[in-house]
Parts: sequence; C-alpha cells; structure tokens
Amino acid sequence: MMTGQHGSQPIQHQFNPYSDNGGTLLGIAGEDFAILASDTRQSVDYSINTRLSHKIKAISPSLTAEFKAQNPKMIGTKNSILFGTNGFSADGDALTRQFEENWKWYVHDQNKSAMSMQSAARNVQHLLYGKRFFPYYVHTIICGLDEEGKGCLYSFDPVGSYEREQCRVGGAGASLIMPFLDNQVNFKNQYIPGTNSTERRKVDYLSLDECLKLVKDAFTSVTERHITVGDGLEIFIIDKNGVRCEYHDLKKD
Amino acid sequence: MNHDPYSWGRPSDSMYGEYNREIANAPTSMEQHTSSSNFNEHTTRPIVTGTSVVAIKYKTGVVIAADNLASYGSLLRFQGVERLHKVGKTTVVGISGDISDMQYLVKVLDQLSMDNNYDNDEYSDNVDELQPSYIFEYLSNLMYHRRSKMNPLWNALVVSGVDSKTGEPFLQYVNLLGVKYASPSIATGFGAHLAVPLLRRLADSEEQAAELTLEEAKKGIRDSMRVLFYRDTRSSKNYSLAIIDKDAGITYDNNVDVEDMSWKFAKDIKGYGTQKV
Amino acid sequence: MTGLSFDNHQRNQHLQSQHNVSFKTTSTGTTIVGIKFDNGVVIAADTRSTQGPIVADKNCEKLHRMAPKIWCAGAGTAADTEAVTQLIGSKLELQQLYTKREPRVVSSLQMLKQHLFKHQGHLGAYLIVAGVDPTGAHLFSVQAHGSTDVGYYQSLGSGSLAAMAVLESEYKMNMTKDEAIKLASDAIEAGIWNDLGSGSNVDVCVMEIGKDAQLLRNYRTPNVREVKEKSYKFARGTTGILRTEVIAEYEIDTSV
Repeated sequence: MMTGQHGSQPIQHQFNPYSDNGGTLLGIAGEDFAILASDTRQSVDYSINTRLSHKIKAISPSLTAEFKAQNPKMIGTKNSILFGTNGFSADGDALTRQFEENWKWYVHDQNKSAMSMQSAARNVQHLLYGKRFFPYYVHTIICGLDEEGKGCLYSFDPVGSYEREQCRVGGAGASLIMPFLDNQVNFKNQYIPGTNSTERRKVDYLSLDECLKLVKDAFTSVTERHITVGDGLEIFIIDKNGVRCEYHDLKKD
Repeated sequence: MNHDPYSWGRPSDSMYGEYNREIANAPTSMEQHTSSSNFNEHTTRPIVTGTSVVAIKYKTGVVIAADNLASYGSLLRFQGVERLHKVGKTTVVGISGDISDMQYLVKVLDQLSMDNNYDNDEYSDNVDELQPSYIFEYLSNLMYHRRSKMNPLWNALVVSGVDSKTGEPFLQYVNLLGVKYASPSIATGFGAHLAVPLLRRLADSEEQAAELTLEEAKKGIRDSMRVLFYRDTRSSKNYSLAIIDKDAGITYDNNVDVEDMSWKFAKDIKGYGTQKV
Repeated sequence: MTGLSFDNHQRNQHLQSQHNVSFKTTSTGTTIVGIKFDNGVVIAADTRSTQGPIVADKNCEKLHRMAPKIWCAGAGTAADTEAVTQLIGSKLELQQLYTKREPRVVSSLQMLKQHLFKHQGHLGAYLIVAGVDPTGAHLFSVQAHGSTDVGYYQSLGSGSLAAMAVLESEYKMNMTKDEAIKLASDAIEAGIWNDLGSGSNVDVCVMEIGKDAQLLRNYRTPNVREVKEKSYKFARGTTGILRTEVIAEYEIDTSV
C-alpha cells in the first residue's frame, strides 16, 4: 500500500496498529447481583492464539484473612468492579491496567475502601475519550453493585460513549446474542397470551440461576455459529457476598 | 497471525475494508515538537528477517527452538544467526521478524540483566533474580509502547523459562502490536500454522502440559522443525534448541540439524498430471 | 446460449466502484486431504461452511461424486466447486457412454484444469481429485487458475497447513486402507481444531481398486452440541393475532 508517487515525495508504507482478536463479552445486571461473562479464545485471522485468555478482571479491595477463611471460593469483595474488554486485546489489556491503576490511586487518595460504579464508569469514559483520535479498539463492559446494592452494568463504545443498562453483549457475537437477550431478559416482542398483542409481558428481574442458564445457552449457541468464539467460558458473578468465577468448557472447533 | 512477516501489522482489506490512514498519520504531541517533516521515518517493513520460533511447555520446564537463518526477502542471506537469547539464569527469549530490531532488543535485554546483576550480586541483602515473568512484562510493555508511537519493533517474541523460586514453567508471546498471550504451546510466523497443530496434539491444556515428559516435548519440537523445513521456504535445516528445566537449568545447543527426513518418494513422482516418464 | 453470462459485468464493476457494495460468496473455508494407500486412495473433508466469520452450514458436504469411482474434495467458493464438479461429472458420463469405457481420473483432471484455466481463476475452485480406474488409483490436486499437482498425499483449503503438518509427520508408503483412513481423519481433525475456517465433522470417501467407492458420511463427529440449559418454547398467544383475513378461492378456467 502506498501513497504519494512522485520523486520528491517519499513513498509511505502503512503500519496498521490494530488487529481483531475475536471473542464475545456479555453482562447482565440482576436485582441484587451482576454477571459478566466472556469466552476464553484469543484469535487472529483464521488462527487460534490461545484457548485460555482472560478478558475479564475482578478489581477488588484486598481480601482480609477473615474474608478468605469465610469465603474460600470468593476472589473479591462485594465492592469489586468486574472489568471486561473485547476487541483488540493489546488495547484491552492496556485499558484494564490503566483503570486498575486509577482505581488504586483513587481509593488511596480519597481514603475510601472502593470506587462506586458511577465514578468508575465516568473514569473509563475519560480513559477512552482521552484517546479519541487513536482509540482503544475495544468494547468495554463493567459490572458491580451500585450504592443501593442493586446489580449494575455500564457499557462503553471504543471512544467512551456509555450508558447504564440491564444487559449488553460486546464483540464478535454481539449481533447474534443481543436480540436473544432483548427477548429473554427484557421480554421484547412478547405479549401476554390472550390479549392479542395489546398487553406486553411485564419486565421483571430474573433470578441468578435463570441468568446463568441464559448466559450458558447464549455462549454455546454463538460458539456454534461464530468462528472466533469458543474454547472456554468464564462467568464472573458479583453479589452481596463477593465475587466468584465459574469456568465451563466450550467447543474447541 | 499471518505467516509472512511482510504482512504483519497490515490490515486485511477483505475483512475490514481499506484502513483509514488519516488516523494513523496524525502526529503525536511529541512528534509535533521534534519533527518538521510530515512523514515519520519509522520501520514500516522488515528487511532482514528470521522465521518461526516454536516452543512447548512440559512437566518441569520449556523446550524452545528457532532456526539459525536470516533471510533478505527470498534470499537466504545469513546462516548462523542465533535467534534464541539467554537472559538471566532461567529465561530464553526467542525472536522472529526483523533482525536489526532483534539486535536492538538483545542490546536492551543485555543492559537489563547487567543492571540487575549490579543490584543483586553476592553482597546484596535481598537477591531478586530476573524471572521470565519480569522480562516478559518489560518486553510486552516495550512492544506496546512502540506500536502506540506508530514506530513498532517488527518482531514476534516468545519468552520461555522457569520461575527460579516456584519452579513453574513460563511461556508467553508478544508481537509488534503488543498483542500478548500465554499457551501450553506457542509458535510464531509459519510455525503458528504448521507447528502449533502438532504441538497441541501433545498438550492442548496446562493440565496436559504438566504431564508431558521432556522426551515427548523434545520429539514434538524436532517433528515441528522438520515439518517447517519441509514446508517453509524461508527456513533452514540448522537450528538452535534450548531446554529450560527447573532442576537442570538452561541446556542450549546452537547447532542442531533436522533429521529423519524422507525425500525418497520424490523420484516416483513424474510431472504434474498425466506424465508417465 | 451456453457457458457463463457476462451481461452484468460492467454494471457490477460500476456498482463496486461507485457504491459501497460487495458481492459475497459462501466459501468453504475448509480443510480437505487426499492420501494414496496400498490398494487405492482416500479423500476426506471437514463439514463447516462459512460466510465471513459466520458459520453458514455446520454439516455441509464437500465430497463430490464425478463418476462412481472418481470423487472430488472441494475448497474455495462453494458454488464453483459444486458447479465445476457437476459439469465435468456429466461430461465424464457422456464420454463413458460414447466410448463404452470406464472414465479415468486423468480425463477428469484434464477437463477440470482446462475449464478452470479458460476462466483465468475467476472460478474459485480448489479441488483434490481422486479415484480408481482401469489404470489404477490416482490422486491429484487442481488450483483455481488451472495448475495441477501429483502426490502421495495432498491437502488444500484454509486448514491445509494444519492438515499438511500431520501428513508430513505421519505419512508412510504402502499404508493399509484402515491406516490411510485414520491418517486422513487425523489430518482433517488438525484443521477442525486449529483452523477457524474449518470445523464440525469428518467426511471420508474410500476408493479401493476392484471395489465400489465408499462414502463414509460423518465418519467422525467430535463436535456434537451439548443439550441446552433451558427450553425456549413460548406460550401459545405470546405473539398475538392482530388481524385475520380470509381470501376467497377463485377457480381459474384454463380451457381454451
């Protein structure tokens, strides 16, 4: 690829600083919990780089010995923030690290035990918009509990536009899973039987168990139909007890 | 990643459409001060290149190999260029891609281990040896930093070793874009297409790698290097092989040859279709 | 009018240059292999077909019959591999009826390469041609531009490197039928696991001298989908009926 043909102008070859590393990221906020899940495949073009990469990080205040003893399977407190990125993995890793750094300085400077979801979301916006003209090529979703203890999810576009939502899918499988979630979580296009499309099915919080089932079915389905999704599924769950992580195998073809 | 270093870091038009170069051409704040020209004189393609690096973890360490050839385009230009580099006591870094950028990286790594030695000699109170994870952290930050300045080091690196405190095998990859990952088996360039399928048959998960013996791992690497010599036109028969073991330390051989090749049946193949003689 | 119609060529060129449109084809981003053995030849393929990053068909057939004992594995543009294979297949049958002789693999190879060369690579067919005929067992590969290749083992498609790695490390001369089937399937599996363009199942076709060709459809199925967590049946009436209309049936008089 070249621009400029004449002798006086140097020929410029282009370096592309981005790549698409595939994968899918999914979050659902429940009444008193939130979950953030992603597949563990990292790919480029038609090759699989690794079958076990981690696109989500639980950013948590340090765990006390007492907490660890009481909750041996918990990897974070209820004040944690689940931070997930999907897209160009190098930018995803860099963004995660930047945010973690900000989080640490924030709790240190403000003498707080944690950062609220609202503040975290605004900080992520600044990080993303700060590179408006050389963007982090990632779709970001963060999950946690809000100040009332309700499940909370914020999703971001690559340059920092964000919104609090009930559920969101990012990455390769977004267009495949999002309509499914619209229908199954927010009951879109569902009417109460017998009312002839006059009364919509009322939106109600789903139980954690129900959400986990939807997440697993969403990922096994998108693994069937999208080539960059597969290998493994990591589900992070945050509720009043803390953060835990589940792993399930996905198909490896 | 595409096996051809010349296409590394270039957009695949078929999938994304043509890349918008306006974004990339915008000068960074630093360059606005230092450079009067509109064009940046950065590495935009590799010149002398090294091909695949292949590596696999086993029970108590890692086996890594890379051939000793530096190519100038399709010319097999320099034989005897070692692309496996010892850093500290328990790390070997394998480098593919541009050779001049590799030599710069080696200089950086030498300085790194020298600095570390000054701070951690026998008179120090707390000796903190260079661990593979430290070196990887340094290199991955360097690679991402350089790509973010639009001035990449045109390489794909494999950092292998064992943690000298825990004895845990270490194997991770980073390339010119700063994309990094860990896996039980890793290969760069052509090796990602030809060697990885073979190595994943030996160990597709960390659990399987933890059961693999040194002999099995070595055989996997030898088989991979043979297949690469058969099929990668920029490869050579002569290669270097390093074993980093938690007990035996680093065993390094810079003069291994591909063995057990079979070209016999070639004589029976006539022409490209219907020819009989 | 025979052959391909190029009536819309100029229009399409114009559309592509002026507007942001592209013509997408279903590609069998594929792994296919062929291996000669002791007394015959075997070919194999995966069963994933893709449109970009989306899986179009999870269990498609990439093994095509050109004659009862000459089979073809196809990679590239799905439509082209099927069309070109059927075309040559029917030519082969006509030739057989005319000459009263069994069709030969070299004939099919020659017809394929001449046809593909004529179209200068515009037919994106990449084929592994194999079969048995009165002159023995044969294995060839043909590229879209019309070049051909002979060998004891071949692999083609996006997973060809993964498959070739297995073939190069495990192929040996004078294998038995069962050994060849296993190696072919293992090579396809390398493509299925390591190449994103390939997936799902392994199809095999064995052509042994003096025997009928045997198609082993879904010879291996290592990718069966696990049962879903939940049933997604909707209660009747979830989608309401807003309006009903009865269209009267008219009788049409067709008599003159």
